[in-house]
Amino acid sequence: MNLSELGVGQKALILQAPVELPVKLFEMGCLPGEEVELVFAAPFRDPLCFRVQGTLVSMRRELAELIPITEPHVG
Amino acid sequence: MSAKRALRVALVGRPNTGKSSLFNRLTGLNQKVGNYPGVTMEKHVGLAKIGAGALAEVVDLPGVYSLHPSSDDERVVMHALTTNTDAERSDVVVGLADGTNLKTCLFVFTQVLDLGFPAVLAVTMVDEMERRGAQLDITALESALGVRVIPVNSRTGMGFDQLQEAILAAKPSTQGPFFQPAGAHLPWLQKKQECIGAGLTYRAWLDGLSDPDFAESVRASGRSPERARADEAIQRYRWVNQWLRKVYHYDPVRDRRAAARFDRIVVHPVWGSAFLFGVLFVLFQALFYGASVPMDAIDGGIANLAAWLHGVLPSGFLNHFVTSGLLPGIAGVLIFLPQIALLFFSIALLEETGYMARVVFIMDRFMRPFGLSGKSVVPLVSGTACAIPAVMSTRNMESARERWLAIAVTPLMTCSARLPVYALIIGLVVPNTPWLGISLQGLTLFGLYALGFAAALVGSALLNRLVPQQKAAHFLMEMPPYRMPIARNVATAVWTRSRSFVVEAGKIIVSISIVLWFLANSGPKGLPNFSASYEPMPIEESYLGSIGRGIQPVLAPLGYDWKISVAIASSFVAREVFVGTMATLYSVDGDEIAPVRARMADEINPETGKPYFNLAVGISLLVFYAFALQCMSTLAVVVRETRSWRFALIQFTAYAAVAYVAAWIAFRLISYLTL
Repeated sequence: MNLSELGVGQKALILQAPVELPVKLFEMGCLPGEEVELVFAAPFRDPLCFRVQGTLVSMRRELAELIPITEPHVG
Repeated sequence: MSAKRALRVALVGRPNTGKSSLFNRLTGLNQKVGNYPGVTMEKHVGLAKIGAGALAEVVDLPGVYSLHPSSDDERVVMHALTTNTDAERSDVVVGLADGTNLKTCLFVFTQVLDLGFPAVLAVTMVDEMERRGAQLDITALESALGVRVIPVNSRTGMGFDQLQEAILAAKPSTQGPFFQPAGAHLPWLQKKQECIGAGLTYRAWLDGLSDPDFAESVRASGRSPERARADEAIQRYRWVNQWLRKVYHYDPVRDRRAAARFDRIVVHPVWGSAFLFGVLFVLFQALFYGASVPMDAIDGGIANLAAWLHGVLPSGFLNHFVTSGLLPGIAGVLIFLPQIALLFFSIALLEETGYMARVVFIMDRFMRPFGLSGKSVVPLVSGTACAIPAVMSTRNMESARERWLAIAVTPLMTCSARLPVYALIIGLVVPNTPWLGISLQGLTLFGLYALGFAAALVGSALLNRLVPQQKAAHFLMEMPPYRMPIARNVATAVWTRSRSFVVEAGKIIVSISIVLWFLANSGPKGLPNFSASYEPMPIEESYLGSIGRGIQPVLAPLGYDWKISVAIASSFVAREVFVGTMATLYSVDGDEIAPVRARMADEINPETGKPYFNLAVGISLLVFYAFALQCMSTLAVVVRETRSWRFALIQFTAYAAVAYVAAWIAFRLISYLTL
């Protein structure tokens, strides 16, 4: 599963940090093992806005598709 | 640090941590601050008396997520912190951390500490933090970081005395390093350390990874500089998370739910669009109706002043120069002020509250087909006030290509300098009678705004096709929390921007008006008569008349006579000069000070015997002004931002060509239709 498949309000953990991702993403706090929640999405679900490490980070769908996550959990 | 130089204090922190508010409070200097990530783009410097010490120089560096640079403003920070020159090197760093979001803020602060700077950590937004029930053990955090940690409140000034003391007594961290390059990274790092002769490992690391040549040699040895940075991020966050668990307790679930609910409305396809439309509608109504009262007052006031001076001053050269040369020029600047101030006020509010970032977010998908991202919305919207700050606001774009596109098309947006030209021409040629209850004049103006916006998008799409695409940059943006705007921040934004308009643009416009007046009052046959028996020279005999006649053949296909040609030639300096020139051209004919519009309406076309300013000439002029890049200041800023004269020259020429062709088509078409 990847980050773009998360439903609004769903949470999951980031599995890995593939090297092809921009390093800025990691520096903003999106790291393996961290919990992410899809907080809201723009029309057509692109771009997407996630909460990770207490901040809201928005990114395009194409980038979210590259980030592997665990199965979503509730709460 | 040399004995003579003032202590230099650098402010470093993530965007949206209240850095500029702290800077304003510390130095009292006017400076722009907002909620859109990276709004502090230039290096802002202010002087502050720190404690009982001497004056210190405080540098407000752009907000960054990391010291490794990915965009221009991050390069500025990296340079400021690693330079060796005494004239630039910082003595003390004040790190900033938002008390409601400590985790990610501490990341970049540990990087600063690893560089070995004497440092202090200022924890901001403490009022918000307390209201939300967050608890922070300051003493424990101090011992973990090995430097002083001071909670401050920039709204009330709380904590600033302690902060100043701590700055004066700042020492490098007693803890750390917070990150240790290890394993595979060590061999090349040692090589880099030898190269720069640096004792500090982290300095060599930062230098090495952002030096393209060196990064290449890292890659050649089978290591990726990106992987190295990612490893650093993982290690630092591990440290931060470990410590914060012990010293910081904050459970923001309830606040988050409310904010997230609101955000879902704001980005909703129907409600969000309605909300955005509503915000823009109110903004434009305020711009045109709200500003009309002070504008009329300024207009009337200057007309009265001119009439009064005309009576009081002894008749002759001075009288004529002041009332029809100098005053109309000054009026041409001041008349814009209400609209510019209102627009800057609105943009500052949108940025401060955090809504601007939401606009960027929802517009991103829409802007993509044109080669732009949501981030271009900021320059394009700002471009409706003035292209100069708009071009400057592209600086925080990571993608050089998108930045390039945004700079190329932003001047097509209808800026406030076009307004007086539009207002004058629309008032002349579009009937002031409602059509189905809609003002035709208002509709024309709306059409011109739409034309500018459409031209910017089409232009960008065309350029995007023409110029081959390299690797696309990623759209990655932090969404700032909603915040109550700080009145002082909004006020300083409005004040500094308005002041710079009056001073910078004003200087140009007033001097051009004076030059024009002289050109209109002297000619090949003689200089103006400076004696008391001064008589205005017939405009046909002046230099200005000769220039107008000289270029008129070129502009004749667009329907322009020599007077319009003079006004267009002079307004290549700045568009609004058109109105002033028309005022000068039409008032030097007689000695009465009458509204320019009425005088222009009376002008008869000698060929047709009908009023000269008909719909075809008017629309042709409007179209010309919509496209032509008639603004020296914008060109100067484009040169500065792109570091390329060629870029600005090509841009200017392309705009002029489009303006000429489009105005010609408009003139032909409407002449044909209205015959």
